[in-house]
Amino acid sequence: MTVLLEGAGLGKSYGGVHAVDDVSLRLSAGEVLGLIGPNGAGKTTLVDLLDGAQPADSGTLSIRGRRLTGPPSRRARAGLARTFQHPHLALDLTVRENVLLGAAAPKLAGVGGLLGGLVAGAFRPSGSRFDGTLHRVAEALDLGDLRRRCGDLTLGEQRLVEVARALAQEPSVLLLDEPFAGADAAGIAAISAAVRAVREQGCGIILVDHNVDIVASLVDRIMLLRFGSVVFDGDPAECMASPEMQDVYFGTGGERVVP
Amino acid sequence: MSAVTARKSSGALGWARSAETGRILGTLALTLGVIAWAGADLFRQDLALLGATYALLALGMYLPFNLAGALSLAYSAYVAIGGYAVGLVATKTGWPLPLAYLLGAVASAALAVLLGFATRRLSGFYLAAVTLLFGVAFQSFLLDAKDITGGALGIGSIRPLTLFGSELDRRTFIALTLLAVWIVAVAVDRVRRSPFGVALQSSRDVPAAVEAAGVGVPAMRLTVLGAGAAIASLGGGLFTTANQTIGPDTFTLHLVMLAIFMPLLGGQGSAWGAVLGAVLVVELTFNLQIFERSGSLIFGVAVLAVLLIAPGGILGFAGQATRWLRGRLARGKGAQEKGARP
Amino acid sequence: MSAQLWVSVVQIGCFFGLVALGYYLVLEGADFFNFALGPFAMFSGLTASWLMAEQGWPLGLAAVLGIAIAAVLAVVTEVALVRPIDARTGGGELPSLIAVVAVLFAVEQLAGTLFGRQLMPGRSWLPHTSLDLGFVTVDGQTLALVFCTVVAFTGVWLWMRKSRYGRILRAVGSNREAAKTLGMPVGRVRLVAFALAGGVVGLAGQLFAAKAGVSFQSGFGWALSGFLALVIGGTGSVWAPLAGGMLLALAQTLVPYYLGSASLDYAVLAVAILFFALRPSGLFVRKVRV
Repeated sequence: MTVLLEGAGLGKSYGGVHAVDDVSLRLSAGEVLGLIGPNGAGKTTLVDLLDGAQPADSGTLSIRGRRLTGPPSRRARAGLARTFQHPHLALDLTVRENVLLGAAAPKLAGVGGLLGGLVAGAFRPSGSRFDGTLHRVAEALDLGDLRRRCGDLTLGEQRLVEVARALAQEPSVLLLDEPFAGADAAGIAAISAAVRAVREQGCGIILVDHNVDIVASLVDRIMLLRFGSVVFDGDPAECMASPEMQDVYFGTGGERVVP
Repeated sequence: MSAVTARKSSGALGWARSAETGRILGTLALTLGVIAWAGADLFRQDLALLGATYALLALGMYLPFNLAGALSLAYSAYVAIGGYAVGLVATKTGWPLPLAYLLGAVASAALAVLLGFATRRLSGFYLAAVTLLFGVAFQSFLLDAKDITGGALGIGSIRPLTLFGSELDRRTFIALTLLAVWIVAVAVDRVRRSPFGVALQSSRDVPAAVEAAGVGVPAMRLTVLGAGAAIASLGGGLFTTANQTIGPDTFTLHLVMLAIFMPLLGGQGSAWGAVLGAVLVVELTFNLQIFERSGSLIFGVAVLAVLLIAPGGILGFAGQATRWLRGRLARGKGAQEKGARP
Repeated sequence: MSAQLWVSVVQIGCFFGLVALGYYLVLEGADFFNFALGPFAMFSGLTASWLMAEQGWPLGLAAVLGIAIAAVLAVVTEVALVRPIDARTGGGELPSLIAVVAVLFAVEQLAGTLFGRQLMPGRSWLPHTSLDLGFVTVDGQTLALVFCTVVAFTGVWLWMRKSRYGRILRAVGSNREAAKTLGMPVGRVRLVAFALAGGVVGLAGQLFAAKAGVSFQSGFGWALSGFLALVIGGTGSVWAPLAGGMLLALAQTLVPYYLGSASLDYAVLAVAILFFALRPSGLFVRKVRV
C-alpha cells in the first residue's frame, strides 16, 4: 500500500505541558486509522498539527512524500480535509452553501483563483458547475433538503453537513474530529457508510472519537494516545484487549475516566 | 431519496433563476425610472449623481464589511483617489478620461491591499480606528501636497468626458453613471450568492473552516478590500467628472460614516440594500425640505431603530413580509384543496 | 519651544487623559470601546455653552446639567442599545462597534439640530485667576482643568480600591467569566461603569470647550484622541490613561512644531500601525492579579 501521510516526531507544548509529545504516524491509502484516548490526551491538538491550524513545535510532515507545511489552506490544496470537534458552519447560510464551500474551495486557491472566483461570481453566481459533486455528497450522506439554514439544524445534522463539506473537497486524507458526537443512529450510519465508501476510493482517514465501539468497528488500525504520547499502535482487536487500553480507560492512570 | 433531493434542488435552481431574471429586469426598470425622473432638471441631476456616488461607495464597502465583517474606514481616501485621478488626467495629460477611472481604481486597490496587509492582524475596534487614522492622514496629504493635489483649492476646470469624438452633456453622463451603478450592484449581488461570496460570508463566522477547506482567508480579505476600493474610486471618478472639480473637502470622513449605515438601513441581505440606503440618505439629507437641517438626525435615529427592531433592514423587512404573505396564501390554497377533496 | 507650549501640552494632555479614563472604565466593565464617549463630551460642553450664551444660565448650573446629560446619554446607550444588541447577536464585537458608531452619529446630529452647527465658545471656570510661575503664566482655565483632572483620577482610583462596586469592576475587568460565576452583579457594575465614564468625559468636555470652543462635530476627533491615549497608556492602572494622554499631547504639540502640520497625522498613523502590528498592551501592561 502506498503511504499517504507520514508524520515524524510531531510535538506541541503549552507552557511546559506537552500536549503532543514526539508522535509519529503513517497513514496509507484506503486505510482508516482510529485515534482514541481520554480527554486531554492530545487528539484534537494532533489533528490541528496535521491540518496546520496550530503550528507544530517540532517534527516533520509529508503527504505522498512531499513536505506538508504552511497554513491550513495550503495543506487543504495538497489533499487534506478535516471536520471540527465543534461544528464550524456558517449558520446563516444554507446546507447547500456550506457544502458548496468545500466543493468550490479548490478553485479559489491563490491570488489567481480568488480573482477568478470573484469575476466568475458576477457572471455565473449559481455555482452550478459544482452541482455534480454537491449532489453526490448530499446523496451519500442523505442530507435531505439542501435549502435549510444551518442554524436551524440539530447538532447531529450539523456534523453531517460538516462531513459533507469535507467530502466535497474530494480529499486524499480526511481528518474527522469526533464526527459521531451528538449524531443520532441514522447520522452515525450515514457517516459510517460514507467513511467506508471514501475508503474504497483510496482515501486515507483519521478518525478521532470517544466512542470506542464505533471506532473499533470502522477502523483498520488504532492509535491510543495518553498525555500526548502514543501508547499503543496496532490492530483494533488487539488494542481493545491490550493492557495499555485497560490501563488508560479502566485503570488508575490518574486521568478522568472516559468510557 | 436521491431522486427527490435532485428534483427538489433543481426545482429550487429553476426558481432562483427566474427570480434572478426578475431582479435584474426590475432593478433595471427602476434605474431607467430614476434616469427619466432626473431628466433635464439640474437639482434632480445633482441628487441622482450624489445618490449614485454614495451607492458606489456603499457597494465598495459591501463585500469587505457587510459580507466579510471587516470594517475598514479608509474609503474616503479611495473615493478621493478616484476623483483626483480624473482631475490629474484631465488637467495634466491629454489622455481620455475613462483611463482615469482605470488608473484611479488600480491605485486605490493597490493602496487598499497595502493598508489591508499592514492591518491584517487587526479586527473590530482596532481595525476601525487605524483605518480611520489613515483617512485622516490622507486628508492631510491632500491639503499638504500642493504640487500634486492643488492643496486646499483642489483641481478645477476638469474637461467633460468625450465618447466617440463628441462631448457628453451632463444629462447623458448622469444617465450613464446610474447605469454603471446598476451594473455594479447586479455584479456585487451576484458575487454575494456565488461560491466566492459563500466563502466570503463563511470567513466572517467560521474563518477556520474556510481556511481548512483550502481558501486563504487573509488573501481573500485583501482581494475584496482591493475590489471594494476600486468600486468606491469609480464613484469618486464619476462624481468628479460630472462636477468638473475636486477638492480635499469633496469626500470627507463623514461620508464614510454615512456609508456604514446605508446597507444597514437598506438591508444587508442583498447588495441592493446598500443602493436603497444610499437613495434614502440623499432623500433625507438633501431632497426632502420638510426635514430641513434635521434630515441627518432622522437618518441617525432611523439607523438606531433599524439596529434595534429590524436587523434585516428595509429589504429584509420587506422580504419577511413577502414570505409571510406567501405562506398565508399557500396555506389558504392548501386548505381549499383539502376542503375540495371528497 | 516656549514655556507656554508646555502649558498647552499639560492642558491637552489632561483633556485626552480624562476621555481615555472614560474609555478605561467602560473597557474594564464591558470589554468594549465606547467611541460615543467623544460625542458625549461634546454634547456636555455644547449644552452648557448654549445654556449660558442663549438662555443666560449661570455657569455652575449649566456645567452640572451638562455633565449629568453626558452620564444619562451613556446610560441610555448601554441600556437601550448595546445591551439588547449584545443579547441578540451573542456579544460579537462588530455589532457593538456599529451600534456605538451609530450612537456617535446620532448624538452628533442631535447636537447639531438642537444647538446649531456653528462653533460655540466655552466660558472659563476661573476667568479672573492666573498663576504666575515666573517663567510662565498659567491661566485660570488650565488651573481648573488640571485640578479637576487630578480630582477625577484620584476619585476613580479611590473608588476602584475602596468601594464595593469599584472593586467588583476591577474583578470584572481582570476576569469576566470568573466574576460572573462568582455571582457578582456584572450587569449592574457595567452600567455604573458606563455612567461614570459619561460623567468623566462630560466634565472633560466642559473644561476643554473653554479652551478651544466646541461644535457638534468636535466629538469625532475627541473620540479618536481619547482612544489613542488609552492605547498608548494601556490599561495597567487607573493612571495609565493620563500618562497616555500626556504623551499624545506632547507628540501633538512637538511634531507639528518641528516637522510641519501635516506630518502630525502621518506620525499618528505610523505610530498606530506600528503599535497595533506589534500588539503591545500599552506602556503600562496590566499586572496579573491572582
